[in-house]
Amino acid sequence: MKIRLRLLPPLLALATLALPAGAAPSPQEILIASDAVRNPDFPFGLTNSLIEYRQGKQTDSSTLAIYSKADPNGGQFRSLVRYTAPARDANKLILFNGKDLWFYDPASKASIRLSPQQRLLGQASNGDVVTVNLARDYQATSAVEEDTQDGDRQTRRSHRLSLSASTPDATYARIDMWVDAASARPLKARFYSESGKLLKTAYYRRYQTVFGIQRPTETVIIDGLEPDWVTVMRYSDWVKREVPETWLQRDYLPRFKPE
Amino acid sequence: MRRPPACLAGLAMALLLGNGPLAAQDADLDALRLADAAPDEVHAPSDWRRFVELGLGGSQPRGGGDTRSNRRLSLDIQYDHALNRDWRVLVANRLDLSQPALRGSEEAINTLKEAYLSGRLQPDTLIDLGRINVRNGVALGYNPTDYFRAGAVRAAVSVSPASLKENRQGSVMLRGQHLWEGGSLSMLLSPGLARQPEPEGLNPDLGATNRQHRGLLTLSQKVAGFTPQLLVYQEEGRPTQFGFNLTGLVTDATVAYVESSAGRSPAQLSQAAPAFSPCRCSDWQNHLSAGLTHTTADKLSLTAEYHHNGGGLDEADWRRLRQGPLPLYGLYRQWAGSTQEMPTRRALFLYGVWQDALLPRLDLSAMHHVDLIDWSRRSWLEARYHVDRLEYAAQWLQHRGAPLSVFGALPETRSWQLSLRYFF
Repeated sequence: MKIRLRLLPPLLALATLALPAGAAPSPQEILIASDAVRNPDFPFGLTNSLIEYRQGKQTDSSTLAIYSKADPNGGQFRSLVRYTAPARDANKLILFNGKDLWFYDPASKASIRLSPQQRLLGQASNGDVVTVNLARDYQATSAVEEDTQDGDRQTRRSHRLSLSASTPDATYARIDMWVDAASARPLKARFYSESGKLLKTAYYRRYQTVFGIQRPTETVIIDGLEPDWVTVMRYSDWVKREVPETWLQRDYLPRFKPE
Repeated sequence: MRRPPACLAGLAMALLLGNGPLAAQDADLDALRLADAAPDEVHAPSDWRRFVELGLGGSQPRGGGDTRSNRRLSLDIQYDHALNRDWRVLVANRLDLSQPALRGSEEAINTLKEAYLSGRLQPDTLIDLGRINVRNGVALGYNPTDYFRAGAVRAAVSVSPASLKENRQGSVMLRGQHLWEGGSLSMLLSPGLARQPEPEGLNPDLGATNRQHRGLLTLSQKVAGFTPQLLVYQEEGRPTQFGFNLTGLVTDATVAYVESSAGRSPAQLSQAAPAFSPCRCSDWQNHLSAGLTHTTADKLSLTAEYHHNGGGLDEADWRRLRQGPLPLYGLYRQWAGSTQEMPTRRALFLYGVWQDALLPRLDLSAMHHVDLIDWSRRSWLEARYHVDRLEYAAQWLQHRGAPLSVFGALPETRSWQLSLRYFF
């Protein structure tokens, strides 16, 4: 019964996409369905391994343990991120709670308030690393059906969604996102600045069964200005777990020790 | 004259533009091929963070003379181990072997930073017992609410704010904390265990950070999107101090913060040299640090901070002290150094960090500290490059100012240091 309940939101999302032609899903509904493929709708933990390449060569890598929980007011995810590697960053923490961002270093015992602009993980922005419900911060204004190449270089029938920022919490001014027309799987996205400059491209790949449905377990991020700057993020060790509200505040950071 | 074929013109245009859709598609394919071959690198969490550091440096003494060289070997460990679901043990220790000695004649200085047991009594109620490095405050260069900083730095290996915060010993205490959604209350009691600091390098030095009975109450509560922190600090034989910390987002790239402590307190000069300044009177004093940090899209973070120390000496008193008996001046500076308190009333602190500057994994930092009473200055630059388990750093420091000014009295005018750190 538990599994059925867990599968309910993505199944409902997919059902929305499978409506008869006369009742085609709206662009926003497609976006919501795509979010449901990427994000579990319960608190969870996972491991995110990042490898960064420049000009074809590996230049950096980190491993992060991430604990996420949706905000009951608004639905956006809040996350606690703990560095596992590299050794010099081990056990440092970052708290993402909307625009309330804190960095904690156990060596100096210092909790430092961060601005959303501060990127701590190379090219990957804060929003790339932690779970984000795009439908909460963006409005999908159009959905154009077209063929596109996915991250496995396969041609897929997709909806190209045009997203524009709808809340001040949105990281990007505009996003073009390709979502598989049949399964609502996110395939790729291009992120733009306010001036229309391409900031980055992301491919969602390595679909595997996680919590009962197929979810992407890898994101490949390509820098818009320097395309040979590539970050590969892989997600593993997904686990459904409680993330107490008390964890999601500055004063808990010195206390955090995962079980 | 024949016009070039349209396809050639198109090709030329594509080459000129360079980043057209075709080029983007090719770049995407290259990136995806790279990702196909990416190894599965998942590192297991560790209870340890350990490094050894080798440092070589030199300094130019004030008043001229030969450059003095120095060398240092440091071992730093941090251990955080869960004994079971509710209890954990934390230990942090640092050993510095230096020539010449960093302090007195002690070439080996050990700093037991922390050693304590932490337990969960209830899901949201926690207790700690042992030596704990309690550090409050949101500012970078001067922390009036960091009440447990006095006497904490045993071996100052760098003037960088991060190093001064990291390389210090805690105080023995019993601490309890209760958390709730959006807030917490903590209370700690730290007993006086020894009346004098122990200068021996390997001594746990209870007298440095447990000289008096002390207590601290800290309350945080989220209110209207802000989470102010209120502190009440009591030290044996001293009036109560009240602290306040607040941060806020000005824009998506700018954080503003203010940190303040206030209360009645004896004048700093009488604290430093009771025999010279016997007045036991205490006045209301305000201590404040307020600043802004702005981060650019290129990962450059710039901080400007204003420091006000209501207990510090103003222009007239500072001039009088500098022109007075040298032993009194020396006692005052020694006290200010050990308590990490500002000798004068006002200062400006500028700090910049540029992550991945010029090339990946290279971090450049710069600090400029100006005393606004005597206009002496400290400038510091650091380049830090890391690759795998190694970290290379080069630091440069300069002090400028009139004789016996805040920075002009320090024994070195310039110094540099190269260091190599290995994490294992």
